[in-house]
Amino acid sequence: MAQSVRSRPPRASGRLRRIGLIALLFLTGCAKEGISPTAKDVHQLYTVIMILALPVFIGVEALLIWCVIRYRRRDTAAPAPVQSVGGNRSLAVFFAIPAVIVAILFPFGEQTLMKVQQTAAPLVQIHVEGFQWEWTFLYLNEGIFVSGKTATDTAPEQPAQMYLPVDEAVQIDLTSRDVIHSFFVPDLLFKRDAIPGRDTSFTFTPTTLGVFHAQCAEFCGLWHSHMTFDVHVVSSADYQAWILQERKASASVTCQPNGTQLALIAHNISWNQNCLAVPANKPFTVSITNEDAGIQHNFSIYDSFFEKQQFYTSPKLTGVASETLNVDGLPPGHYYFQCDVHGPAMSGSFIVAKPGGG
Amino acid sequence: MAVTHAPTAEAVPEPGSGLMGWLTTTDHKRIGILYLINSFAFFVVAGVFALLMRTELARPGTQVFAPHAYNQLFTLHGTLMIFLVIFPLLAGFGNYFVPLQIGALDMAFPRINALSFWLLPVGGLTILSGFLVPGGAAAAGWTGYPPLSEQLGTGQDLWIAGLVLVGTASILGGINFIVTILRMRAPGMTMMRMPIFTWSILATSLLVVLAAPVLTAGLLMVFSDRQLGTVFFDPSRGGVALLWQNLFWFFGHPEVYMLILGAWGVVTEIIAVFSGKPIFSYRGVVLAFLLITALSFSVWAHHMFATGAVELPFFSITTELISIPTGVLFFIWLATMWRGKLRFEPPMLFALGFIAMFLIGGIDGVWAASPAMDFAIHDTYWVVAHLHYVLFGGTLFGVMAAMYYWFPKMTGRMLGRRLGIWQFWVQIVGFNMTFFPMHILGLRGMPRRVADYPPDLGWSFLNLFASVGAFVIAVSMILFFTNIFLSLRKPKTAPDDPWGANTLEWATTSPPPIHNFDVLPQIHSDRPVRDLRIQREGGGS
Amino acid sequence: MSAVASSNRRSRPELSGPVLGMVLFVASEAMFFAAFFAAFFTIKDNEPVWPPPGIHLEDKLATILTVILIISSVTVQVGLRSMRSGASRRATVWLGITIALGITFLALQLYDYSQLGFGLKDGPFGTLFYVMTGLHMAHVFGGVVFLALVFSQLLRGRLSAEHHDPMSAGAIYWDFVDVVWILLFIVFYILTPR
Repeated sequence: MAQSVRSRPPRASGRLRRIGLIALLFLTGCAKEGISPTAKDVHQLYTVIMILALPVFIGVEALLIWCVIRYRRRDTAAPAPVQSVGGNRSLAVFFAIPAVIVAILFPFGEQTLMKVQQTAAPLVQIHVEGFQWEWTFLYLNEGIFVSGKTATDTAPEQPAQMYLPVDEAVQIDLTSRDVIHSFFVPDLLFKRDAIPGRDTSFTFTPTTLGVFHAQCAEFCGLWHSHMTFDVHVVSSADYQAWILQERKASASVTCQPNGTQLALIAHNISWNQNCLAVPANKPFTVSITNEDAGIQHNFSIYDSFFEKQQFYTSPKLTGVASETLNVDGLPPGHYYFQCDVHGPAMSGSFIVAKPGGG
Repeated sequence: MAVTHAPTAEAVPEPGSGLMGWLTTTDHKRIGILYLINSFAFFVVAGVFALLMRTELARPGTQVFAPHAYNQLFTLHGTLMIFLVIFPLLAGFGNYFVPLQIGALDMAFPRINALSFWLLPVGGLTILSGFLVPGGAAAAGWTGYPPLSEQLGTGQDLWIAGLVLVGTASILGGINFIVTILRMRAPGMTMMRMPIFTWSILATSLLVVLAAPVLTAGLLMVFSDRQLGTVFFDPSRGGVALLWQNLFWFFGHPEVYMLILGAWGVVTEIIAVFSGKPIFSYRGVVLAFLLITALSFSVWAHHMFATGAVELPFFSITTELISIPTGVLFFIWLATMWRGKLRFEPPMLFALGFIAMFLIGGIDGVWAASPAMDFAIHDTYWVVAHLHYVLFGGTLFGVMAAMYYWFPKMTGRMLGRRLGIWQFWVQIVGFNMTFFPMHILGLRGMPRRVADYPPDLGWSFLNLFASVGAFVIAVSMILFFTNIFLSLRKPKTAPDDPWGANTLEWATTSPPPIHNFDVLPQIHSDRPVRDLRIQREGGGS
Repeated sequence: MSAVASSNRRSRPELSGPVLGMVLFVASEAMFFAAFFAAFFTIKDNEPVWPPPGIHLEDKLATILTVILIISSVTVQVGLRSMRSGASRRATVWLGITIALGITFLALQLYDYSQLGFGLKDGPFGTLFYVMTGLHMAHVFGGVVFLALVFSQLLRGRLSAEHHDPMSAGAIYWDFVDVVWILLFIVFYILTPR
């Protein structure tokens, strides 16, 4: 894990103060430093709460230990202690002390919250979809997407890779295709739930280069613990290079029609093919085999992963099962197919070739 | 109060003997003991689940349990501990001691009391029977968030059915407690003379009656979605997934106080008794209980900060406000001990352990109450640490204090002192070994409810350490059950009031007769048994 | 339950144990229904149009149902007053009328269900309408059974002007069921545009 250099503590005058600072650094060092300005604010909030909480903790535990040592009964024959009880005044003090702490604490928390919730005009806008049990990142402006592959009994997950240019504002638009997930990057000190039927957005600006582990934080079923992804914060040049490379990779996917009978197998939440082709304007059949027990898949054809226009969609098929779909002929062009349950993570190119064309 | 005579023996039917007597009993004392036996049985089951989980998490990678098994284990660990262990333990003590503490003959509705007990084991076994059906037991966490909980198999239906039974039982029990406390107090036992434990059960019961039905409603919605094809939580057909979280936590946060109020109650009394002083501010404790009861209905969405769909400042301030009356309790406990003469018998040790540990559970909750910080630690092991410091460091230490305190009253036998002290030290060491490192794991980003974790993130050592701690806790529990076993084999030699206590349950024999009191003492204060003791000593000298 | 202490000092009689128990039970039931009303408003606010297209509810029969339940609430209270003044025969008659009205409500509601053009599985409106009115119906049924038990106690002369807790409890429950129906009528018929 890349970590930023810890900011130098202010010049300490006394030795005692230095020891105090070291102790505080030790306690706050447990929390992640953060890789964005807002994350650093949250880290600071952690420290502020620690500064308020630690005296309370030490004070109460010390009083407790004091009582245990000082007021233990040494002599069984000694007379009963004074039967003193408190009046309204001491009760008022008991209420006032925590009330003062809350009155100090709450504004600090709100201040940090406002910073965390600030939005900035983003350079990069990523549509993030959680699905069981991986992630898809759609870079809508750049026209590319990346998906992870879910873990299975036989293979570990292939985490989705998110590339971000350093020092640029990023907006994440988050949703889920099935159950509730949570987009959690520990080094951002932030998470947001990905909720089906609901879109939510947040922005942040990563300022530290490095690769950061991230994963789903809301329990989402079987492979929840393997729903990981990696956040790469890279230089602007590296980011552009990555975009170009991804574009090239998706453009290079192509295939030729071979009759009007297509076959497609869904296994471990992946299709066995990433490209299908048919001749133009001729009805065709797609036989779908869903080998994933208890998991639903379907087959849909769109213009592209933007899903602006839908040309065909089938009902969901719960595995293990198979069916043959009859699809009307399509005009020539470059289309896109996917399983709507899992989205771009289970997708490919759908090519309708011109008649007579090569 | 019109009733001026002590309840008499004729009013109570003779108890049946043998097993049938226990199965058909409507005596609140026997039902209380049944509650405790049932709770400790489920405690062993859910505790073994925890050990199995910690075994799997001791090292990264999958060694013992594949995710499917692990997910069932943590779901049932949480569900059983909350609904069939901690709450029924407190309800069991309440059943046994509330009528004794207020000088009543029995609960207001003895047969309903028996019903609400028997629904518990039925509900618990229904939930556990999920292991026998194809697809296994419930595996959506104790919070059962849909749509996930609507995807899973029959085990999830059994989980719902079991929880509806347990919820119904607790509502009936809550009504029973409230009517008992409001209507069956002995002459002179005014509300402000009631033992604090009885107050805590009254507050708990109010929460149960008003909050538990909301959970039942939510469970029925999930069930109807699963079995009847309705759309409450199905966003693809017009439902709202987040609706469940609002309903669940509207119940779930009062639930937290249902799980701790009873422990606060008994610890408050134990501290007073073993300090030889009155509770520093009886009114303060009652006021704090009532404030917490009222406020606990306004904090639920602090469990939902990370959804981005709730009013953050409102739920943040209510959450921080509820820490004020909680803080007051700490001051009152400390002030009660101040200048007292402390006796370190096992009940007092566990009560002190309760204060020390619950304090941590209270303070680490302050981080989570601040939304910006909660975004970082929500759903991580920080939360696991926090909730265990509250429910284990808090309630379970309180329950242990109560066991050592009341065991002589319930059985006529003292629990072993040496073994109790050993148990305390082993338990507090094991507890902190297990749960303190989880704070750091959470800060380092380890999410909760994971069956596995990567080896390269610096989480491995702390997990191993926590797993070792879990087995230390297991040793302390073996000491506890051994202590009970050994004590039950000894003759009934416990005096009526072994601790020099304050409250009415100590005025009767150990164990009490079926009709509770042969003679009910005059009640002039909140410490009638102490008044009696002083009167006797004064008369003797 | 007669070990209940009643105050001599206060002029207002305290609720007896069983009646207090019923009040608490009704409070609990109110929270149960409150959860469903919360669900109603959450789901309604999430829909672009309400009611969703294709849903049509006729309010004629529902109005009759409302009138029936309101009348039955009056009759059960009149019966209770008769009981308190010791007129147990009159109380029996009024209670009988209440039970008959309850049964009429159940029958008419089932008939209403058969006339509706949508079902339980027809989206959010069908879900909310059938589950909420269905649960209410179950409560009406429970109320009818409860009142029938009280009725049989009355017939056997078990209740008196001094001792009629079951009837008081039954009346409280019945009034509650009535209030829930009025709220259901408001959200499904009055607040739902046609």
